[in-house]
Amino acid sequence: MPGMSSGINVTDPQVVSAFLSALLHQGLIAVLIFATLVVAWTTVRQLGRSGTANAGQGKAASCEPEPAGRQVLRIGFGIIWLFDGILQAQPKMAVGLPSQVIAPTAASSPHWVQTVVNWAGTNWSYHPIQTGAAAVWIQVGIGIWLLAAERGWLSRAAGLVSVGWGAVVWVFGESFGGIFAPGLSWLSGAPGAVLIYMVAGGLIALPDRAWRSRTLGRLVLAGTGVFLIGMAVLQAWPGRGFWQGVSHGQPGSLAASTQSMAQMRQPAFFTTIVSAFTTFDEAHGFAVNLVAVVALGTIGLAFASLRPRLLRPALIAFSVLCLAVWVLIQDFGFLGGLGTDPNSMIPMILVAAGGYLALTRVPSPAAATAIEPVTPAEPTSDGGRLARWKNLVNPESLSRRLAATSLRTVLAVGAVWVIVLGAAPMAVAQANPNADPILAEAVGGAAAPLQTRAWSFRLTDQFGKTVSLASLRGKVILLGFFDPVCTTDCPQMGAEFREAGALLRSDASKVELVGIVLSPTYRSLPVMRAFDQEVGLSAVPNWLYLTGSVSQLRPIWRNYGMIAEDLPAGAMTLHNDYSFIIDQTGLIREEFNADPGPGTEATESSFAVLFANAAKLALK
Amino acid sequence: MIKAASRRTARAGLMALAVVCGTVGLGAAGCGTAAPAGTARPPVPVKPLSLATSVTTGADSWAVALLGGSAAQYNNFWQVLVRPAGSATWRLVTPPGVASNGGLLIAPESGSSLVAGFRPSQLLTFTPLASTSTAGATWSAGVMDAALADVPDALAADPATGRLLALLADGSVELSNPAGTSWTTIASKRTLTGGLAARRCGLGNLTGVAFGVSGVPLVAGNCDQRGVAGIFGYAAGHWQAAGPALPPAFAHEQISVLAIAASAGRLVTLLQAGLGAGAGLMVAGIGGSGWSVSAPAPLSGRTVLSAAIGDSGTVGVVLTGGRGLIVAGAGSSWQSLPSLPRQTQTLSLGPGAQVQALAPGRTTVLVWDYAARSASWAIVQKLRVPIEFGSSD
Repeated sequence: MPGMSSGINVTDPQVVSAFLSALLHQGLIAVLIFATLVVAWTTVRQLGRSGTANAGQGKAASCEPEPAGRQVLRIGFGIIWLFDGILQAQPKMAVGLPSQVIAPTAASSPHWVQTVVNWAGTNWSYHPIQTGAAAVWIQVGIGIWLLAAERGWLSRAAGLVSVGWGAVVWVFGESFGGIFAPGLSWLSGAPGAVLIYMVAGGLIALPDRAWRSRTLGRLVLAGTGVFLIGMAVLQAWPGRGFWQGVSHGQPGSLAASTQSMAQMRQPAFFTTIVSAFTTFDEAHGFAVNLVAVVALGTIGLAFASLRPRLLRPALIAFSVLCLAVWVLIQDFGFLGGLGTDPNSMIPMILVAAGGYLALTRVPSPAAATAIEPVTPAEPTSDGGRLARWKNLVNPESLSRRLAATSLRTVLAVGAVWVIVLGAAPMAVAQANPNADPILAEAVGGAAAPLQTRAWSFRLTDQFGKTVSLASLRGKVILLGFFDPVCTTDCPQMGAEFREAGALLRSDASKVELVGIVLSPTYRSLPVMRAFDQEVGLSAVPNWLYLTGSVSQLRPIWRNYGMIAEDLPAGAMTLHNDYSFIIDQTGLIREEFNADPGPGTEATESSFAVLFANAAKLALK
Repeated sequence: MIKAASRRTARAGLMALAVVCGTVGLGAAGCGTAAPAGTARPPVPVKPLSLATSVTTGADSWAVALLGGSAAQYNNFWQVLVRPAGSATWRLVTPPGVASNGGLLIAPESGSSLVAGFRPSQLLTFTPLASTSTAGATWSAGVMDAALADVPDALAADPATGRLLALLADGSVELSNPAGTSWTTIASKRTLTGGLAARRCGLGNLTGVAFGVSGVPLVAGNCDQRGVAGIFGYAAGHWQAAGPALPPAFAHEQISVLAIAASAGRLVTLLQAGLGAGAGLMVAGIGGSGWSVSAPAPLSGRTVLSAAIGDSGTVGVVLTGGRGLIVAGAGSSWQSLPSLPRQTQTLSLGPGAQVQALAPGRTTVLVWDYAARSASWAIVQKLRVPIEFGSSD
């Protein structure tokens, strides 16, 4: 898919180092946020201890216990989000996620899904550091938020945020959980782990009264049951390759899936387990699928029946089945350096357990009534409302309420700021249509700072006028060498020059974009004008494309370290790709290896930013 | 009542028709005559020929072939080969400086002169040109700021004036000045297909351009109208039907112009009548005495892969299934060749009824000579080609 890849090695040291550095810096800021909030909370609490101690105790006493089912979901998914956030911090993630996780996942989906996913993947590829770090902090933040915020609107809001971010990950990261792709199977994670996160988030976001009746538990378990029955039917559907361990000499659908899992880089022990299962499935494919279908169907029926004596054994059986699938088929989901989550089985168990507890351990109505806080009468007039607002901003009242706030709430607020900490730089980066210059540096290596006098030249521009280096004195020069009939690098870099000129905005008049022909054969003005037309440089006022005789050009190429040799048998002219920044005094300030390498959309636009930044620096 | 402007247009059209007929010498046959009434059915496109081809002029034999054999798209490179007059061997003379992955087209001029056009590939969007007057020993660079069409006859040269004629990828036709340094669009796809003559025949895909024997720009294409060869001549700003009148036997056949070329003062076209198993192949040529059409050769379900034009209007084709056909000219009968050597891309028809098969591999071209007496092929040359694999990545 175009744009999904920056073409850079996922372990590129420059990008990995920048990613880890960004995480470190943002991590320090996150720690600072928490420290500041805790210190502020402690201080306020100390100052207002005498006046608020009783109030705080009273509040604690009046707080009803969290329903067990909700607690399981909140803590369970809080830990999972936290774990996912830590997985996102793996070094390969910044570059590798779009090209090696998202793109392959979307590859078998319909074109419209690929288009949607490609849009997001391209945006990620353009700004891998900010986006990669944002994914870490958003997920860590949601995890901490869920773990810290036990009750109240802040806790419910954590559920909602979990749903929102989950939707983003499910659509763009999991390609809608693969539900539009062939080969959908519960065993391999359908309908997407993050869809289950969203269900859990939705349940956490429900008001307290929803958890005080058994209806919620019934709905969750019945829904899970119906879902499992549906998955059993899908698993049993003929012609999808799940009944065969081997088909036409090739592994069947399930064996093929586990075989690819086993090939992932992971501890040998895990490889052995999954390989053994693959071998077993190849030999007994029908039996394996039969067990899966029967187990899913039976457990699904038990859940859907809502019969109390069946639910507990069904939950136990479901948990065992999920754990077996998690280990043997899903290979834990998070191994290999690019795993983003532990796949769907643990979330499944949590949702089923949450539903079971919601049905079997409902807070008693009496207790709920007893602990209902006494709320003051609502003010009905404008005067009353004004008084309430005044009370809210009153320093004494504020201090009292802050002192009464629990540490959990403080941590939850800190978690919100951690999410903002990740999301804000990503949002700012996404507003920039050009890719980050670090991609260009990763492709061509960092620019070499120089203080060398530029070698003079006297050539003819695309309009037939003579131009020399001396005639450009007083301007910063972005100098490149272009073969006008080159089919790859030169059109890309020409477009980068054009884009660099656009990025310079008001500084563009102080910078001359200069190209020198890099072909012994194609040097004529019509060819150069065709090149200008091709890359959109014709209408760029500060663009000069210079040419001359071979005897004029060769010394210039040699001085600047350029190679241009015609090759036989239909090969492109052999040339290298260097660009230079020459300052107003004629000193070469920087040299870039401007070989776009794999030449994807992301790396291409990153060179323009690199050039423009260097030109701006030379102007200072 | 015909308005004055319409009368002027009609008169101009008639004059143009007269000019075309006169200059191309088409009057002897069916120029501008109404085609036999065929039933217009949706056209079925005939697959265009490969860019692999060869042309023998009065002096030299030229050929274009694809080497590399790699699965990677940009590791295949088109080559220009020449066998100069009097020489028994072929030489590699691919013009330097441009990656030839997109295709190479050749347009022989007079003597040992030839113009080659590189079809753009990857990010290149225009057509670098190269011309030689030394049988490929030296080349001069030129350019056409547009992409040539992906057909072997998209570029033609007029030996008399030095002008070039180009069929572009967007279906328009451009004509150069005698120096080949500036180009004028003489027809866009819309104006070409929207003209009166083209509308009558339902002109669809364009398959090539050539200069007529009197230097008139010609364009060839496929017509929806059955029994009509889509060849049009340009004169006085108008395009007029200029194709041959075909025998009534083809009145209900879809006619595809597979190739069009001028060679040694003759215009030669390769026509396919019909589709599928019943299709036949004809050569229509025009020299001094007007059009003549060869008897059809049955294709027997095979497809034409490439065409070679020889000196004095001979034509050779490579068919699927390793078969080949040759015909001595428009007035002659087709001759079937024995199974072609493996990997034959094009035939070459040299002087003295010489027939060769060029069979490129990864980095070599095997040249096979056909011995008519023994009806067999024999290798006469193995030409090594120093392909720079990976140079276009």
